[in-house]
Amino acid sequence: MKREKFDPHFVKEECEKYVKKKGGLAFGIANLESLEQIAPQGHNPTAMLPKVKTVISIGVGGGTQGSWSADAKTLAYIGDTETMAYRIAYGLAFFIESRFGYRAIFVPPDMDPEKGARVPMQSLKLHAEVAGIGARSMAGDILLHPEFGMMYYASVFTELEMPPDQPMAENPCPHPSCVTLYKRTGQTPCQKFCPVECLSGSIDENDQIEEMKYDSHACAEMSQQYEAIPSVLLDTLDAKNPIERGMALHGPENQVLWYKLSIGAGELLSLCYECMRVCPITQTALMANPVARGAGMRQKIVEAEAAARTEHNIEHESDKIK
Amino acid sequence: MSYGVTQEMIDTFGDIVFKLSLNKQIRRGDPVRNLDFESIAASRSETGLTDEEIAKKIGLLPEQVSVVRVFTERKHHKIDQHRRLYHLGGGKRWRKDNYKNPLERLKFREDAMLLREAIKFKPELVTKYIEKGFWVDETLNSHLKHYAVNSPESLAIIHPDGELTYKELDEQVEQLTNGLLGLGLTKGDVVSVQLPNTIEFILCYFAITAFGGIMQTIHMSYRDTDIEFLLSHSRSRAIICLPKFKDFPTQDVMLRLKNKLNTLEYVISTGTEATDGVLILQNLKFPGTPQIENPPVGSDPFLLLYTSGTTSNPKGVPLTYQNMIGNARLSVPEFNMCSEDRNISAAPFTHLYGLYNFHVALCAGATNILLPVFTPDGLAETIERTKSTTIFLGPPHAASMLDLNLIEKYNFSSIRFSMFSGSACPKHILTAYREKILIQNRNTRIGQLWGMTETAGATFCRDSGPIDLPLTSAGPAAPGNEVRVVSRDDGTVLSSNIEGELQVRGSSVFPGYFDNPEANKASFTKDGWFKTGDLAMLDQDKNLILTGRIKDIISRGGVKFNPADIEELIMSHPSINQAAIVPMPDKVLGERACCFVTVTQSQNITLKEICVFLDSKRISKNKWPERLKIIKEMPLTPTKKIIKNKLLEKL
Repeated sequence: MKREKFDPHFVKEECEKYVKKKGGLAFGIANLESLEQIAPQGHNPTAMLPKVKTVISIGVGGGTQGSWSADAKTLAYIGDTETMAYRIAYGLAFFIESRFGYRAIFVPPDMDPEKGARVPMQSLKLHAEVAGIGARSMAGDILLHPEFGMMYYASVFTELEMPPDQPMAENPCPHPSCVTLYKRTGQTPCQKFCPVECLSGSIDENDQIEEMKYDSHACAEMSQQYEAIPSVLLDTLDAKNPIERGMALHGPENQVLWYKLSIGAGELLSLCYECMRVCPITQTALMANPVARGAGMRQKIVEAEAAARTEHNIEHESDKIK
Repeated sequence: MSYGVTQEMIDTFGDIVFKLSLNKQIRRGDPVRNLDFESIAASRSETGLTDEEIAKKIGLLPEQVSVVRVFTERKHHKIDQHRRLYHLGGGKRWRKDNYKNPLERLKFREDAMLLREAIKFKPELVTKYIEKGFWVDETLNSHLKHYAVNSPESLAIIHPDGELTYKELDEQVEQLTNGLLGLGLTKGDVVSVQLPNTIEFILCYFAITAFGGIMQTIHMSYRDTDIEFLLSHSRSRAIICLPKFKDFPTQDVMLRLKNKLNTLEYVISTGTEATDGVLILQNLKFPGTPQIENPPVGSDPFLLLYTSGTTSNPKGVPLTYQNMIGNARLSVPEFNMCSEDRNISAAPFTHLYGLYNFHVALCAGATNILLPVFTPDGLAETIERTKSTTIFLGPPHAASMLDLNLIEKYNFSSIRFSMFSGSACPKHILTAYREKILIQNRNTRIGQLWGMTETAGATFCRDSGPIDLPLTSAGPAAPGNEVRVVSRDDGTVLSSNIEGELQVRGSSVFPGYFDNPEANKASFTKDGWFKTGDLAMLDQDKNLILTGRIKDIISRGGVKFNPADIEELIMSHPSINQAAIVPMPDKVLGERACCFVTVTQSQNITLKEICVFLDSKRISKNKWPERLKIIKEMPLTPTKKIIKNKLLEKL
């Protein structure tokens, strides 16, 4: 791959523009040396891309105000926007390679199967924190941003050099109102309202985080469905009777797991399409065809331009007559 | 693959692996944001290590750490945590005290599940009952609540010490429900009740069923052995009773049984004083709306009644709301029952017939009048005082009032409808009763109902049916039910006016005996017809004419006859009160007829006189009794049916 030299600041600006254009809220560059020092061995950036020069972290927003008011199951479906972050990061990696000619990698947001429970291949949170687009909160180390609140993060590693950012100067957590509640009740709101009481900790005399305790197991039991799948299977084996066994596998909550698994596995879902196959609306909806739609748009533009030219000519001719 | 891991290794290292892994995380200060590398390194093990790092720290292989961790996590695993998610958001905030795992509230005790497993209906019949509206989602308390809201000031109950409107009744029921819930009683639990037709019985009935409990009744006449059988077989958790009844030390007996039976936890007594270990019912009333986790629904069982045991040990009959309350609701228009009616039951509420008519009046929003203990005078006086409009009674109740000329003595003019049931109804009693009331109320009507604990009100005469039909018939099938008469020899369905075995199928028929598979097998046909054991005919209009019990049939030298007609004739003799004929073993003929009678005051009678009497009625000689036994008192069930088994013991 030919490598042209680029101004690191220019490159950074171009990448940030791309990310913001695609819907990213926050963009930052993490200091590689810091990451190499902090991340456990095997989970540091150079373990994944040996000649990495820059770690880019991007953040996209969470739920809308409406989704924060919705019930938990609705919020669970619409509130997590990490796939949007992944999509932008994936595009950014290609953008860097095609625009600047340097290798880039979309950092997989997945667990490391060899390393244990809930151990990621790379900590996206660590990248974002060091890149200064989030700070660890009392709520189980969820990153918070003073302007964008809770975001979902994705990372890109590249061999293209860009100047790093600094971690945020101040941690927005705890919020002054949380400090007030803590002083009154001994608990921050996130600690008080955790349904499985997985959060605890303290705030020091300077109103800063003194200690954060997080029972990740309790949290995951309730909210990480992928961890529920083996439990569902074990419950099935342990079931005392056919009804318990059936409910363990087919109960409405557990069926959601199989539904998601099926989607992930590309299985056929719900439709045979026979009704739509014979539906005249479906079959004649020409604008549903992107090629036809593109052609239609082009045709409209051609027609509009032709009309404009004709109008101009008429005006021109009329001028002549005058 | 063993991974070289033993259970001991898991037990030994499990806790430390769990703690070191990402399962428990502690962070002090804000070291990453401050790039405080020393603190980060120092606190690595507190913020969570990979299996590889743990392995190095505790001296195991990473794969072994993985196995130890997985099994330890499993040990810590609490099922159904994700259900908490469904309690969150949408304007709700997390409050620990408000949360209850939805599965917890659906848990039933093992004994309660046993009873629920006895509820087995045929699917095709259930579909039919629901489609036709015989079964809906209704409960005893849903009817009470309906009237407490919509006609709160209407009189629900008149009892000897006062009256209660529907609103007042509902409030008192709520108070007692709180008390019973406070004892830890939950949905599906059986609570036994041995009480007369008092306001306490009614409050207990509504309160037990309000939280999904199942009431099991014990007749007032039952004593130690019978009670023990019922409490034990029903796995009852509590018994509610009188402090004592006549010479029977009820409380003491119940306490003794509580110590003997593992399942019985509470003895609750009416009255104001109780011995140690007995709770006072009045003290179990607490104000406030009960918090019922898992309220009952139409398909739930709510009654566990035991057959009277005229032929064998009592059998447990579970009934669902859809069976029993549906039966009552469908009966309301047939009796033209309305909220203006004042209904009185001569039958005890411990028996199906008493409960049935209580339900009918409740479904109509009418007033139920309570008669705690039946005496002829007491019944007549209550009718006059309360201006009762409908009465549900048995022939012996009517006969005793007729004997004492009470209908002439008291004002019965308010009675518009009298329903007879409980045993075969002798025509002469019905006729005499009706004639005497007609003098006071020219529009009064009588009816006849046939039912069993197993069938609820299976057939009955309608208020608008032929006037004289009830003198000889128990009417057509109740809405939702079907009746047929089949040959006892080959089971074929018989045409009208031919005697055979009566079979019933329908929405009020019970699902099967509790914990008695043999009886269930013997009692139902493959297509769901219940074999009643009664002999009957259907007339051309499908009206039921009862003729006797199959087990009562006498086979004299191979010639069989049903003694029911003979018994009725003998009872019409002026010297005889009650009569029952039972088969007496005989070496030559196999069986001969023995007649047991009770005689009217200071009268006597001989076998010869009875035979002469029957001869005058042109009864063939082979049906005459060949032995006579005069007894002081007939052994009767609480609904005044003669217990022939006990007579056989006297032979």
